[in-house]
Amino acid sequence: MRLEWWILLAVYIVTTGIIFFIPKNKIRLAVVAFLFKQVITFLIGLVVVELGLLEYPIRLFASINRTSFTFEYYVFPVVCAVFNVWYPEEKRKLIKISYYVIITSIMTILEVMIERYTDLLQYIHWEWYVSWISLICTFIIARLFCVWFFAKE
Amino acid sequence: MILVAMWLFGIVGFILFIPRKDWRMGLFAFLMFQAIIWLCDMPSFQFGLLSAPVREFPKATDLPVTIDYLFYPALFSIFYVNKKVRASLWYSFTYYFIWITATTLFDSMLEKYTGLLEYKLLTWYGMWIYIGFLFYTSEICCNWFYKDKSRYKQNEGGGTS
Repeated sequence: MRLEWWILLAVYIVTTGIIFFIPKNKIRLAVVAFLFKQVITFLIGLVVVELGLLEYPIRLFASINRTSFTFEYYVFPVVCAVFNVWYPEEKRKLIKISYYVIITSIMTILEVMIERYTDLLQYIHWEWYVSWISLICTFIIARLFCVWFFAKE
Repeated sequence: MILVAMWLFGIVGFILFIPRKDWRMGLFAFLMFQAIIWLCDMPSFQFGLLSAPVREFPKATDLPVTIDYLFYPALFSIFYVNKKVRASLWYSFTYYFIWITATTLFDSMLEKYTGLLEYKLLTWYGMWIYIGFLFYTSEICCNWFYKDKSRYKQNEGGGTS
């Protein structure tokens, strides 16, 4: 098996492992965040691949889908779910902002490493900061949606 | 043309047939159905059960984006929100039957008269079972979510504002 498939497998295991760290009473928040994030990432993923900005040489469901099922359908949404569950709601603004920045940066660094050292992802007309900006935007939108969804009427 | 119509009807239908106060529930049903239809359609398309010759992102994916992403989820959310919660078995059964049959009819018309869908190994009754399965699974998931409404408001409503 190629290295990339091992990485994919590891990504699945780690991501699934993260799910178990979600406290039980916040599971509904996690589900909403997961589903909503999925809608955004899936659509953006389709658009960027269609425009030829990125490509995923090694992927699941390769013959029918040129986007990354793993990342857009599973990994990003799970990260977003965890992000929302552990969001520092009662803390100061600065902490909230750094929370966004840190998580987005970690995701971007991982993505750049995947891009550079494996065939899972290939930037064509794309830069790491575009990833960073789009990631932070999707986090913000997802957060706003969750707040609205659970707001008391 | 039909794609534009589906976008229009999907959005307008959502606004018209779902009361404003139920928008959250409708959106949740929408999201849930969407997650499930993607997951189920990936293998179905991969194994050649059906295909979509004319589609929105021909390069990025072989799946029909409008149908999976907007139209069927919108249908399902209308279905879910307007369903009576405590109803007789007979009522639920008929309700299901009508919705699934109507969706299947629409689907096979798309198959027959347009290039948007193309059944391969799948037949119309296969599609009926498939759609029924999608609706049923999504409904179970949504019911789980709304199972204990009072508790979910207390635990999470307070902490996320």
